[in-house]
Amino acid sequence: MSNPFHSLDPRINRLGVYEVTPETLVPKTGLDQFETYEAFIQKREGAKYEHVGPVHAPNEEMAFLFAKEQYSRRMTCVGLFVVKTDQILTTSFGPNDNSVYDLLPTDNEVASGDPQVWEVFHLKKRGIQHHHVGSVSAPSAIAALTLAKETYGAERPVVNVWIIPDSQIRFTSPEEKAIWDTLKDKKYRDAIAYKVQDRIDRYKQEHPNLQSI
Amino acid sequence: MKPEALKELIYKMADDLLILGHRNSEWTGIGPLLEEDIAFSSMAQDKVGQAQNLYQILHSLGESEPDIVAFTRNAPQFHNCQLVELPIGEYDFSLVRHFLFDTADALRWEMLTTSSYEPLAQVAKKFQGEIRYHVLHAKTWITQLGSATEESISRLQLALNYAFPFALGIFESSPYEKEIIAEGYFGGEELLKEKWMEKIKSVLNETQLILPDEKIITPVLGGRVGIHTEHLQPLLDEMTEVVALEPHAEW
Repeated sequence: MSNPFHSLDPRINRLGVYEVTPETLVPKTGLDQFETYEAFIQKREGAKYEHVGPVHAPNEEMAFLFAKEQYSRRMTCVGLFVVKTDQILTTSFGPNDNSVYDLLPTDNEVASGDPQVWEVFHLKKRGIQHHHVGSVSAPSAIAALTLAKETYGAERPVVNVWIIPDSQIRFTSPEEKAIWDTLKDKKYRDAIAYKVQDRIDRYKQEHPNLQSI
Repeated sequence: MKPEALKELIYKMADDLLILGHRNSEWTGIGPLLEEDIAFSSMAQDKVGQAQNLYQILHSLGESEPDIVAFTRNAPQFHNCQLVELPIGEYDFSLVRHFLFDTADALRWEMLTTSSYEPLAQVAKKFQGEIRYHVLHAKTWITQLGSATEESISRLQLALNYAFPFALGIFESSPYEKEIIAEGYFGGEELLKEKWMEKIKSVLNETQLILPDEKIITPVLGGRVGIHTEHLQPLLDEMTEVVALEPHAEW
């Protein structure tokens, strides 16, 4: 069907404002949004990776770029990884002063299959971010959680646990680590580099009739 | 040492970076996505910072101070290739230019890490991190949009067709080419172009974009000897607007 309101701007056409379909009812279309990915950064060599927040992106490579811009631009950073939000397996939230591991049902099922690597993250208290505690090798997510409890369950408090399959994570490659190695002499980027108060004071003295500046 | 050859080499690199840095900074506030707005602005700052480092080297070779060199010359005294002075246009063009230029820039700096002129070899190592990010950024976007939708592919293709002859102008041969290579300052524009063609082909092969046939294209030359499009002087006028108001102000 030719649209009499075809615009030269593709964004207008995508809105579909003037399109009339012959059907009375059509399924509501999904939101025009990217999927979300979670970003984790390492602030110093040897430090634990910490969750920093989500980004919206069409794929993991783009998510990596966006996360780099959003979360590692002004702070020190030596490593970044991203993973699709729905690849993170999470427990329920436990009490503030204890461990959520204690509340989990004991799983006695003997898991079979090829083991894979899972990264384990703990949340120490509500309002802060999950931090990496280590990794386990297990054939299933449940088996990984059981193993995580045995290995890292002594920590107190643990309000929430995340289990992430290693294979789904977009890590920083060794060559990419250099991207945070930027020129140091860029003070002009910060307002604090412009020291003008003494000059404002001098100007005020030279112009006593000036009310305010 | 052959100072004239060396200066010619450094001037064109510095001017490329300053002018492209200024152009890319024009995306600040109007980028297609918030992250992209930040990315383009921050890479623009990187480029201006790198240009400043190069003007500093020129100063040590007897040229004026970096600010004087950057802000008081007119278009015919600039040695940048014409590619970098073209207006930002739509985002498709800016992205393609970013990809074509930065791929060449990264390879150039890689070659310069072994330059016999020590100050150049040093900054080449210092810039590695920033440059690696610039090419990662360009490659990720080109790979994504170069195989996404009919609209994104056709827009990038048109931008590529338009930008490619200008991009070949990056490699305009220097009158000092022989000395530059013989002295070991730099491996030369021809070698750089070969490496560049190989690199951009390998990225474009992952997309649905087609590289125009180099054999039937006339490169846009002249930038290196001060011949520019009508777009450079207005850019310089804008860039030097504040300096021109108060040339002796302290910052």
